[in-house]
Amino acid sequence: MSAPNDDKGTSHSQLSSQFYGDLLDSIIVDVASECHRIARLGLDRNLEDEEEELRLSTQARARVADPSNSGEANSKYVVDIFGQTHPSVASEIFECMNCGRSIMAGRFAPHLEKCMGRGRKARLKNTRSSTAAQNRYTRGSPISAYSPYSNSASGNRVANGTTAPNEEYGDGGFED
Amino acid sequence: MRGSINRPPTPDAEDDREQDLTLQEIINIKLIESGEKERLKELLRERLIECGWTDEMKALCRAFTRKKGRNNVTVDDLVHVITPKGRASVPDSVKAELLQRIRSFLVSAAL
Repeated sequence: MSAPNDDKGTSHSQLSSQFYGDLLDSIIVDVASECHRIARLGLDRNLEDEEEELRLSTQARARVADPSNSGEANSKYVVDIFGQTHPSVASEIFECMNCGRSIMAGRFAPHLEKCMGRGRKARLKNTRSSTAAQNRYTRGSPISAYSPYSNSASGNRVANGTTAPNEEYGDGGFED
Repeated sequence: MRGSINRPPTPDAEDDREQDLTLQEIINIKLIESGEKERLKELLRERLIECGWTDEMKALCRAFTRKKGRNNVTVDDLVHVITPKGRASVPDSVKAELLQRIRSFLVSAAL
């Protein structure tokens, strides 16, 4: 009885392999067909980008490795990845939206610190008088409503409108 | 009398053809009719996606497409690109599972 079974076993194995191979080939054709469709319809948005990306990255690597481009020595003339050079301080001039002054871009951040700090204090002064009337949870003085500010640095005088560096830190930290 | 009336008899080729079916063809018909072929194909497809085989094949296709140019590829090209690697890189466990399923079918179909 073993002989016929063996035959059947081998023929079954052979047949199984054949059918497995057919299934696999069929799936391969499906995958190829799908990729062909994607390629022809241009659905693969990264296809050319990858090529470009590879080229640019090798270019960038070459530039970095290039000793004539040492960034520290001549920072004014360092070239960025797009091949542009920038001055160390941004020189475009525009109008500050808070105070309306003409400010240089590279000086804008420090300007804003002071500009909005002062403006905020001015605003605080105004709102203080309005909240004094509205404040139902008065714990003595309206200043206590801003207790985070007064506690953040020693000797903070919110009401006086004097600028102290501590003040700005506190404001910047909490007001948002 | 018209000559068209004297027609030769219609050959009954169907009878002959059935007897020439190989075992493989018979099994194939049984597989398809029972729906098992479809299930097996979906099972294989799912396993191949799970193990990353499909992604590998797609990457090969993309690389080839990049080189040859998007509009110059044919399905035939891509089939030839992925067939050798495709056949070789199926995980053993996946292959074993499929072979097992097919063999069970053969046994259950009393072939």
